[in-house]
Amino acid sequence: MIVNLGYTALLLALICSLYSIVSARVYINTNRYQWVDSARNAVIAVWFLLTLACLSLVYLLTNEHFEIEYVASVSSRAMPWYLKATALWGGQAGSLLFWSWLMSTYTGVVMLRDWSKERDMQPYIITASMLTLAFFISLNAFVENPFNVLWIDSFGNITASVMRPNANLMFTPKDGAGLNPLLRHPGMIIHPPMLYLGFVGFIIPYSFAIGALAVGRTDSVWIRATRRWTLVAWLFLSLGLLLGGRWAYDVLGWGGYWGWDPVEIAALMPWLTGTAFLHSVIIQEKHGMFKRWNMILIILTYALVIFGTFLTRSGVLSSVHAFAQSSIGPLFFMFITITFTISLVLLFRGWETLGSSKTLTSWLSREGLFLLNNLLFMGILVACFWGVIYPLISEIITGQKVTVGPPFYERTTGPQFAALLFLMGIVPLVAWRITTVNRLGHLIWKPTIISLVVPIISMISGVMNFAALLSLWLASLVFCVTIYEFYRGAIARSKSSGNNFYVALWLLISRNRRRYGGYIVHLGVVFMAVGIIGVEMFQTETQGTLALGERMHLGEYSLVYRDLTEFSANDGRVVTRATLTVYKNNKAIGKLEPQRDYYKDSMQRMTIPDIYSTLEGDLYVLLIDWKPVGLQQATFKVYLNPLINWIWIGGFGFILGTLVATWPDQRDRDILTNNKSFAQPL
Amino acid sequence: MGMSRINSTKTSPSYSIIRHAKDKLGQIAVWTLLATLLVFLAIKLFQSSLGPVRSGTPPDFTLTTFSGQTYTLSELKGQIVIVNFWASWCDPCKAEAADLEMIWHDYKDRDVLLLGIDYADTKDEALTYLSTWNITYPNGPDVGTRISQSYRIRGVPETYIVTQDGLLAKSFIGPTSYENIAVILEALLDK
Repeated sequence: MIVNLGYTALLLALICSLYSIVSARVYINTNRYQWVDSARNAVIAVWFLLTLACLSLVYLLTNEHFEIEYVASVSSRAMPWYLKATALWGGQAGSLLFWSWLMSTYTGVVMLRDWSKERDMQPYIITASMLTLAFFISLNAFVENPFNVLWIDSFGNITASVMRPNANLMFTPKDGAGLNPLLRHPGMIIHPPMLYLGFVGFIIPYSFAIGALAVGRTDSVWIRATRRWTLVAWLFLSLGLLLGGRWAYDVLGWGGYWGWDPVEIAALMPWLTGTAFLHSVIIQEKHGMFKRWNMILIILTYALVIFGTFLTRSGVLSSVHAFAQSSIGPLFFMFITITFTISLVLLFRGWETLGSSKTLTSWLSREGLFLLNNLLFMGILVACFWGVIYPLISEIITGQKVTVGPPFYERTTGPQFAALLFLMGIVPLVAWRITTVNRLGHLIWKPTIISLVVPIISMISGVMNFAALLSLWLASLVFCVTIYEFYRGAIARSKSSGNNFYVALWLLISRNRRRYGGYIVHLGVVFMAVGIIGVEMFQTETQGTLALGERMHLGEYSLVYRDLTEFSANDGRVVTRATLTVYKNNKAIGKLEPQRDYYKDSMQRMTIPDIYSTLEGDLYVLLIDWKPVGLQQATFKVYLNPLINWIWIGGFGFILGTLVATWPDQRDRDILTNNKSFAQPL
Repeated sequence: MGMSRINSTKTSPSYSIIRHAKDKLGQIAVWTLLATLLVFLAIKLFQSSLGPVRSGTPPDFTLTTFSGQTYTLSELKGQIVIVNFWASWCDPCKAEAADLEMIWHDYKDRDVLLLGIDYADTKDEALTYLSTWNITYPNGPDVGTRISQSYRIRGVPETYIVTQDGLLAKSFIGPTSYENIAVILEALLDK
């Protein structure tokens, strides 16, 4: 029964989304408001229907309805209830449904806003977003149906379909195949939702951009209206990437957090264009420049989201992230062709009117350097794109599969990331329109001198690697300049208003949320850079086979092998767990228990590290082998990952900064409700 | 100088075409790029939809065994080659291990070569597995899982039989048996 409910809701959602497109079209032709209102209601109804479909699937998953093909393929009796529920996004069909539901949440909520100022764009916005959503729903409804039931005929052949074929009986396997062990991790509960929320969130600014292009509006209303949506999508995408890194670090057992896997890059690419977009829209809002560029960036971001999803889900790429072979490829390909073509036609049609009469007065101005920042992001994007696409091209042309490894990406993107850090350090001190070198020098000498402390101390303590010293200096420069900006602003405000310093600082931030929120995100980037420099340049590792009681050393740490136990866990795993005592400078500081899990249902094994974590760095221990007889000897691989935790700490900077920047602001509300102040620069 | 003057006369009809083309050059370039990308994706999509290699010439590879010998498939024409993908952690592989060794024992003197390719494994465990099952035919690790990728295997075990002419005769997805392989070998040897 529940399965019929779920599938009916899915089909109705598809019909409603198609109806909203038709209804929006009728409004464009007749200009009668009730049609666009009806379209809006249909968009909201889609959310309710998809919610129902998702809840039905969750119910089937948690109640062990193994007669459902999807339930049998991603869950098993031994799994705890929360893993059963989150298996909703553990396979292709379910995660597509979940994806559509998240997208409908965005499109539904955006319909609730006050549309009086963008009434002309609204039908086009509905069309652009609902076309995308309808496509994803139809993938579920017709190709990857999560509500397919298993049937068996008299010859024992098993098929999956919604309707019962003639002379078939329902087939209920005794148990499901279980979720891929790689996905049975707390990180897996939140990593995909975050990433998907980031991905699908860009549908909102994209649809508004398409709406603006379609009606020929050249003002920045679409950017103002979607500023927060873009920030939210960007934050979720950033967190999704970070959590993915954390998951890889905890589960994959190779001591790293980022492997330049094609699917990771597919998720990074929209982040690059999205970040460039967040910066360049500021120039359009303040100075009316970069209008074409912003259109290109948001269309590119959306295109990269769709392209990345296609690569991951169509079976074109092989990777830990890729979904199994699926037949959604051809449909997806058609969708890509259609949407990319429509977007480009609209862009070229509006190209002339989007031109700006203003030109750059000087490269040494805030807008000039913002453009440079954007070009660097594009440079990184080109390197990433080439790395993903080159193996495909070379395989087709030469028949040889060439893989592009991490060294390629590190060499091509490393210097550009360093240049971005440098820009992050100087741009806050550069004025709009034009700055003289003298003026900049006057502002920057103090933070520069302070920032030199970090590389000098590093040098004294023995770091001689030029690249490491340079990047550490760049990170500390950004840190000092950013703190200096807070300080300078607060001092100036406290002088003019007579408030004390802290009150002035509070007022400074709360009156310029967007700017200072951005700076807080920059501080997060600094922490992240420090962590990345630490791991990439100073990671050390060792490997050794120990008998019980023997000791191995790495840096100032040493480890003594104490015990090895083997036991069956109640979720169908056989766990082999080693116990080691950790010593730092010959003082016992704790124990570590790296383990190897063997999943009987899927015959897969996983190497789970145990980590001794401090702000200075992680001691990361893997149990990679043992002698089965007597359990007397075991082989361990140990990594020392200096400063790695600053990467995750940086993530909190992202959250805090974005919260500050998006927090509702009384002034914003005034501007939105009061037409006269619209002309004022924000 | 002369050229630029000709170009700057706005009345010349050929000039307006060039100018028009120039204006559109960016657009044409973007469309061409998009079309090229889509064509590549379409080809790749088509290729990956074919699934595992089933017929024709199987992908070539060079395997370096645990004991250091190298075998290159394309240089082994004239004999039948059986390629078996396995791993020490794979339980179904154990089901066919004794059968494979028996095939090797019975057919190695009749121009049949059996190659074991160890997929995603550690050397110590792989060697333990080989000695547990008394396996004597050549075995080597699939470094970087390159061979498995080129055969688009779905998992282990999988077995491919290559004819004397270097063509794929048969593939088995999942464990196979002495009888299954022997039937094919006899048919090929009778030719």
